Amino acid sequence: MFTKFEHFAATSLMGSPKEAPPRQNGHLQFDRAWEKMAFGVAIALSKQGHYEWEEFRQTLMATIAEWEATHDLDDPEWDYYQCWLATLEKLVVSSGVLQAGELETQMTQLLDCKAMADPSA
Amino acid sequence: MPSNYPGFRYGADRETFSAAKVKALESLLIEKGVITGDTVDTVLGYFETEMGPFNGARLVARAWVDPAFKELLVTDCNAACEAMDFPEGMSGAEGEHMRIAENTPEVHNVIVCTLCSCYPWPTLGLPPYWFKDPTFRARVVREPRVVLSEFGVELDESVTIKVWDSSAQIRWWVLPMRPPGTEGMSETELAALLTPEAMMGVATVSV
Repeated sequence: MFTKFEHFAATSLMGSPKEAPPRQNGHLQFDRAWEKMAFGVAIALSKQGHYEWEEFRQTLMATIAEWEATHDLDDPEWDYYQCWLATLEKLVVSSGVLQAGELETQMTQLLDCKAMADPSA
Repeated sequence: MPSNYPGFRYGADRETFSAAKVKALESLLIEKGVITGDTVDTVLGYFETEMGPFNGARLVARAWVDPAFKELLVTDCNAACEAMDFPEGMSGAEGEHMRIAENTPEVHNVIVCTLCSCYPWPTLGLPPYWFKDPTFRARVVREPRVVLSEFGVELDESVTIKVWDSSAQIRWWVLPMRPPGTEGMSETELAALLTPEAMMGVATVSV
Protein backbone atom coordinates (compact mmCIF):
# COMPACT_ATOMS: atom_id res chain seq x y z
CA MET A 1 0.00 0.00 0.00
CA PHE A 2 1.53 3.26 -1.09
CA THR A 3 0.08 6.59 -0.14
CA LYS A 4 1.87 8.55 -2.86
CA PHE A 5 2.52 7.73 -6.51
CA GLU A 6 6.11 9.04 -6.23
CA HIS A 7 6.77 6.53 -3.46
CA PHE A 8 5.36 3.66 -5.50
CA ALA A 9 7.27 4.66 -8.65
CA ALA A 10 10.66 4.92 -6.95
CA THR A 11 10.17 1.77 -4.88
CA SER A 12 9.26 -0.28 -7.93
CA LEU A 13 12.70 0.50 -9.39
CA MET A 14 14.59 -0.86 -6.37
CA GLY A 15 14.32 -4.48 -7.47
CA SER A 16 17.76 -4.72 -9.05
CA PRO A 17 20.88 -2.52 -8.84
CA LYS A 18 20.86 -1.96 -12.62
CA GLU A 19 17.40 -0.51 -12.88
CA ALA A 20 17.54 1.53 -9.67
CA PRO A 21 18.49 5.22 -9.89
CA PRO A 22 21.77 6.31 -8.26
CA ARG A 23 21.36 7.14 -4.58
CA GLN A 24 23.46 8.44 -1.74
CA ASN A 25 22.64 8.47 1.97
CA GLY A 26 19.01 7.67 1.37
CA HIS A 27 18.60 10.42 -1.22
CA LEU A 28 18.41 10.34 -5.00
CA GLN A 29 21.71 11.38 -6.44
CA PHE A 30 21.65 13.71 -9.45
CA ASP A 31 24.98 14.72 -10.97
CA ARG A 32 23.58 17.01 -13.69
CA ALA A 33 20.58 19.33 -13.80
CA TRP A 34 19.04 17.53 -16.78
CA GLU A 35 18.92 14.26 -14.83
CA LYS A 36 16.55 15.84 -12.29
CA MET A 37 14.37 17.16 -15.05
CA ALA A 38 14.23 13.79 -16.85
CA PHE A 39 13.45 11.99 -13.59
CA GLY A 40 10.71 14.40 -12.58
CA VAL A 41 9.06 14.53 -16.02
CA ALA A 42 8.99 10.72 -16.31
CA ILE A 43 7.20 10.33 -12.98
CA ALA A 44 4.89 13.29 -13.56
CA LEU A 45 3.69 12.03 -16.95
CA SER A 46 2.88 8.60 -15.56
CA LYS A 47 1.18 10.15 -12.54
CA GLN A 48 -1.02 12.08 -14.98
CA GLY A 49 -1.98 8.82 -16.67
CA HIS A 50 -0.10 9.17 -19.97
CA TYR A 51 1.45 5.72 -19.47
CA GLU A 52 1.61 3.01 -16.84
CA TRP A 53 4.66 3.18 -14.59
CA GLU A 54 5.24 -0.51 -15.25
CA GLU A 55 5.51 0.31 -18.97
CA PHE A 56 8.22 2.86 -18.19
CA ARG A 57 10.00 0.32 -16.01
CA GLN A 58 9.91 -2.41 -18.64
CA THR A 59 11.12 -0.02 -21.35
CA LEU A 60 13.93 1.17 -19.07
CA MET A 61 15.06 -2.41 -18.51
CA ALA A 62 14.93 -3.10 -22.26
CA THR A 63 16.96 0.06 -22.91
CA ILE A 64 19.57 -0.97 -20.36
CA ALA A 65 19.68 -4.41 -22.00
CA GLU A 66 20.25 -2.71 -25.36
CA TRP A 67 23.21 -0.82 -23.90
CA GLU A 68 24.62 -3.99 -22.41
CA ALA A 69 24.28 -5.84 -25.70
CA THR A 70 26.29 -3.18 -27.53
CA HIS A 71 28.93 -2.29 -24.91
CA ASP A 72 31.36 -3.97 -22.56
CA LEU A 73 29.95 -4.39 -19.05
CA ASP A 74 32.74 -2.25 -17.60
CA ASP A 75 32.45 0.47 -20.27
CA PRO A 76 33.21 3.77 -18.46
CA GLU A 77 30.72 5.54 -20.72
CA TRP A 78 27.86 3.73 -18.96
CA ASP A 79 25.35 6.32 -17.86
CA TYR A 80 22.15 5.45 -16.06
CA TYR A 81 20.36 8.66 -16.95
CA GLN A 82 21.18 8.31 -20.67
CA CYS A 83 19.14 5.11 -20.53
CA TRP A 84 16.47 6.89 -18.52
CA LEU A 85 16.28 9.68 -21.11
CA ALA A 86 16.14 7.23 -24.03
CA THR A 87 13.26 5.47 -22.25
CA LEU A 88 11.41 8.73 -21.67
CA GLU A 89 11.78 9.65 -25.37
CA LYS A 90 10.25 6.32 -26.41
CA LEU A 91 7.36 6.69 -23.96
CA VAL A 92 6.35 10.26 -24.85
CA VAL A 93 5.98 9.18 -28.48
CA SER A 94 4.36 5.76 -27.91
CA SER A 95 1.85 7.31 -25.50
CA GLY A 96 1.01 10.05 -27.99
CA VAL A 97 2.09 12.96 -25.77
CA LEU A 98 4.40 14.05 -28.61
CA GLN A 99 4.49 13.19 -32.30
CA ALA A 100 7.54 11.37 -33.64
CA GLY A 101 10.12 13.93 -34.77
CA GLU A 102 8.62 16.77 -32.77
CA LEU A 103 11.29 16.59 -30.11
CA GLU A 104 14.12 16.53 -32.66
CA THR A 105 12.75 19.66 -34.34
CA GLN A 106 12.52 21.49 -31.04
CA MET A 107 16.02 20.38 -30.09
CA THR A 108 17.53 21.44 -33.39
CA GLN A 109 16.05 24.88 -32.87
CA LEU A 110 17.50 25.07 -29.36
CA LEU A 111 20.94 23.96 -30.52
CA ASP A 112 20.86 26.42 -33.45
CA CYS A 113 20.07 29.26 -31.05
CA LYS A 114 22.98 28.18 -28.91
CA ALA A 115 25.32 28.07 -31.91
CA MET A 116 24.25 31.56 -32.94
CA ALA A 117 24.88 32.87 -29.43
CA ASP A 118 28.42 31.46 -29.45
CA PRO A 119 30.68 33.90 -31.35
CA SER A 120 33.44 31.29 -31.73
CA ALA A 121 31.09 28.93 -33.58
CA MET B 1 27.41 -3.49 -33.12
CA PRO B 2 27.10 0.25 -32.55
CA SER B 3 23.86 1.59 -31.15
CA ASN B 4 21.66 3.86 -33.23
CA TYR B 5 20.71 5.94 -30.24
CA PRO B 6 22.81 9.16 -30.26
CA GLY B 7 22.75 9.37 -26.46
CA PHE B 8 24.71 6.13 -26.38
CA ARG B 9 27.51 7.40 -28.64
CA TYR B 10 30.79 8.53 -27.20
CA GLY B 11 32.07 12.05 -27.37
CA ALA B 12 32.13 15.38 -25.61
CA ASP B 13 28.96 16.46 -27.42
CA ARG B 14 26.90 13.90 -25.55
CA GLU B 15 26.39 16.18 -22.55
CA THR B 16 25.24 19.11 -24.69
CA PHE B 17 23.01 16.76 -26.64
CA SER B 18 21.36 15.30 -23.54
CA ALA B 19 20.91 18.64 -21.80
CA ALA B 20 19.41 20.14 -24.97
CA LYS B 21 17.11 17.18 -25.46
CA VAL B 22 15.71 17.39 -21.93
CA LYS B 23 15.33 21.15 -22.23
CA ALA B 24 13.50 20.69 -25.55
CA LEU B 25 11.25 18.05 -24.03
CA GLU B 26 10.39 20.25 -21.07
CA SER B 27 9.63 23.29 -23.21
CA LEU B 28 7.43 21.26 -25.59
CA LEU B 29 5.46 19.74 -22.74
CA ILE B 30 4.95 23.15 -21.14
CA GLU B 31 3.92 24.63 -24.52
CA LYS B 32 1.33 21.88 -24.94
CA GLY B 33 0.03 22.37 -21.42
CA VAL B 34 0.99 18.82 -20.39
CA ILE B 35 3.13 20.02 -17.49
CA THR B 36 3.75 23.38 -15.85
CA GLY B 37 7.00 24.96 -14.76
CA ASP B 38 6.37 23.62 -11.23
CA THR B 39 5.67 19.99 -12.09
CA VAL B 40 9.20 18.67 -11.81
CA ASP B 41 9.90 20.62 -8.62
CA THR B 42 6.77 19.13 -7.08
CA VAL B 43 7.90 15.58 -7.86
CA LEU B 44 11.44 16.16 -6.63
CA GLY B 45 10.21 18.06 -3.58
CA TYR B 46 8.52 14.90 -2.42
CA PHE B 47 11.86 13.07 -2.34
CA GLU B 48 13.80 16.03 -0.99
CA THR B 49 11.54 17.26 1.79
CA GLU B 50 8.66 14.89 2.53
CA MET B 51 10.05 11.43 2.90
CA GLY B 52 13.67 10.68 3.62
CA PRO B 53 16.27 10.04 6.30
CA PHE B 54 15.72 13.52 7.75
CA ASN B 55 12.46 12.19 9.24
CA GLY B 56 14.19 9.29 10.98
CA ALA B 57 16.90 11.65 12.22
CA ARG B 58 14.34 13.97 13.79
CA LEU B 59 12.57 11.08 15.53
CA VAL B 60 15.82 9.74 16.97
CA ALA B 61 17.05 13.17 18.07
CA ARG B 62 13.78 13.83 19.92
CA ALA B 63 13.95 10.40 21.53
CA TRP B 64 17.47 11.22 22.77
CA VAL B 65 16.32 14.39 24.55
CA ASP B 66 12.82 13.30 25.64
CA PRO B 67 12.52 9.99 27.56
CA ALA B 68 8.73 9.93 27.27
CA PHE B 69 8.98 10.34 23.49
CA LYS B 70 11.60 7.61 23.35
CA GLU B 71 9.22 5.28 25.19
CA LEU B 72 6.52 6.07 22.61
CA LEU B 73 8.93 5.59 19.69
CA VAL B 74 10.05 2.18 20.97
CA THR B 75 6.56 0.93 21.86
CA ASP B 76 4.56 2.51 19.00
CA CYS B 77 6.66 3.93 16.20
CA ASN B 78 3.67 4.91 14.09
CA ALA B 79 2.15 6.88 16.97
CA ALA B 80 5.49 8.64 17.47
CA CYS B 81 5.45 9.61 13.77
CA GLU B 82 1.95 10.98 14.17
CA ALA B 83 3.11 13.11 17.10
CA MET B 84 5.52 14.93 14.77
CA ASP B 85 4.49 17.49 12.15
CA PHE B 86 5.31 15.07 9.33
CA PRO B 87 3.49 15.09 5.98
CA GLU B 88 0.29 13.07 5.74
CA GLY B 89 0.72 9.36 5.10
CA MET B 90 4.08 9.32 6.83
CA SER B 91 3.05 6.91 9.57
CA GLY B 92 1.99 4.32 7.04
CA ALA B 93 -1.32 3.05 5.75
CA GLU B 94 -3.20 0.02 7.00
CA GLY B 95 -0.98 -3.00 7.49
CA GLU B 96 2.23 -1.00 7.29
CA HIS B 97 3.90 -0.87 10.66
CA MET B 98 7.27 0.52 11.48
CA ARG B 99 9.10 -0.74 14.53
CA ILE B 100 12.35 0.53 15.97
CA ALA B 101 14.94 -1.65 17.72
CA GLU B 102 16.85 0.20 20.43
CA ASN B 103 20.61 -0.14 20.67
CA THR B 104 21.98 -0.41 24.23
CA PRO B 105 25.46 -1.06 25.65
CA GLU B 106 24.47 -4.76 25.71
CA VAL B 107 22.55 -5.15 22.42
CA HIS B 108 23.33 -3.91 18.91
CA ASN B 109 20.62 -4.18 16.25
CA VAL B 110 20.92 -4.54 12.47
CA ILE B 111 18.13 -4.61 9.89
CA VAL B 112 17.86 -6.66 6.70
CA CYS B 113 14.99 -7.26 4.32
CA THR B 114 14.18 -9.51 1.43
CA LEU B 115 11.67 -7.39 -0.47
CA CYS B 116 12.20 -3.88 -1.74
CA SER B 117 8.90 -2.71 -0.30
CA CYS B 118 9.98 -3.60 3.24
CA TYR B 119 12.48 -0.81 3.73
CA PRO B 120 11.30 1.84 6.21
CA TRP B 121 11.17 4.48 3.50
CA PRO B 122 9.46 7.25 5.41
CA THR B 123 12.22 7.39 8.01
CA LEU B 124 15.32 6.21 6.11
CA GLY B 125 14.72 7.31 2.51
CA LEU B 126 15.87 5.16 -0.41
CA PRO B 127 17.81 1.97 0.36
CA PRO B 128 21.48 1.76 -0.66
CA TYR B 129 22.48 -0.73 -3.40
CA TRP B 130 24.15 -3.24 -1.14
CA PHE B 131 21.10 -3.52 1.10
CA LYS B 132 19.31 -5.50 -1.61
CA ASP B 133 22.27 -7.75 -2.27
CA PRO B 134 21.35 -11.38 -1.39
CA THR B 135 24.96 -11.97 -0.32
CA PHE B 136 24.80 -9.10 2.16
CA ARG B 137 21.56 -10.35 3.62
CA ALA B 138 22.78 -13.94 3.94
CA ARG B 139 26.07 -12.87 5.52
CA VAL B 140 24.46 -10.51 8.05
CA VAL B 141 22.35 -13.38 9.29
CA ARG B 142 25.25 -15.86 9.33
CA GLU B 143 28.16 -13.73 10.54
CA PRO B 144 26.86 -10.33 11.69
CA ARG B 145 29.97 -9.47 13.71
CA VAL B 146 32.24 -9.91 10.70
CA VAL B 147 29.97 -7.91 8.40
CA LEU B 148 29.65 -5.09 10.94
CA SER B 149 33.40 -5.00 11.32
CA GLU B 150 33.71 -4.58 7.54
CA PHE B 151 31.43 -1.56 7.91
CA GLY B 152 33.78 -0.21 10.58
CA VAL B 153 31.58 -1.12 13.55
CA GLU B 154 33.80 -2.97 16.03
CA LEU B 155 31.70 -4.41 18.85
CA ASP B 156 32.93 -5.89 22.08
CA GLU B 157 32.47 -9.67 22.29
CA SER B 158 30.06 -9.09 25.19
CA VAL B 159 27.62 -7.18 22.96
CA THR B 160 24.76 -9.28 21.59
CA ILE B 161 23.92 -8.63 17.94
CA LYS B 162 20.28 -8.94 16.91
CA VAL B 163 19.29 -9.09 13.23
CA TRP B 164 15.78 -7.93 12.33
CA ASP B 165 14.26 -9.15 9.09
CA SER B 166 11.60 -6.79 7.82
CA SER B 167 8.42 -8.11 6.30
CA ALA B 168 5.62 -6.49 4.35
CA GLN B 169 3.83 -6.02 7.69
CA ILE B 170 6.65 -4.80 9.91
CA ARG B 171 9.48 -2.57 8.74
CA TRP B 172 12.32 -2.42 11.20
CA TRP B 173 14.84 0.33 11.78
CA VAL B 174 17.33 1.08 14.52
CA LEU B 175 17.47 3.60 17.37
CA PRO B 176 21.22 4.25 17.74
CA MET B 177 22.85 5.14 21.05
CA ARG B 178 23.43 8.83 21.72
CA PRO B 179 27.18 9.42 21.51
CA PRO B 180 29.16 10.92 24.39
CA GLY B 181 30.08 14.59 24.05
CA THR B 182 26.62 15.64 22.84
CA GLU B 183 25.19 16.69 26.21
CA GLY B 184 24.56 20.35 25.37
CA MET B 185 23.32 19.80 21.82
CA SER B 186 19.90 20.84 20.52
CA GLU B 187 17.55 18.44 18.75
CA THR B 188 18.53 19.99 15.41
CA GLU B 189 22.24 19.54 16.12
CA LEU B 190 21.66 15.95 17.21
CA ALA B 191 19.57 15.16 14.12
CA ALA B 192 22.46 16.34 11.93
CA LEU B 193 24.68 13.61 13.41
CA LEU B 194 22.43 10.80 12.19
CA THR B 195 22.94 8.86 8.96
CA PRO B 196 20.72 6.24 7.29
CA GLU B 197 23.50 3.72 7.97
CA ALA B 198 23.36 4.43 11.73
CA MET B 199 19.59 3.89 11.65
CA MET B 200 20.12 0.59 9.82
CA GLY B 201 22.62 -0.56 12.42
CA VAL B 202 25.67 -0.70 10.12
CA ALA B 203 27.25 2.44 11.61
CA THR B 204 27.46 4.10 14.97
CA VAL B 205 26.93 7.78 15.68
CA SER B 206 29.91 9.91 16.55
CA VAL B 207 30.54 13.61 17.01
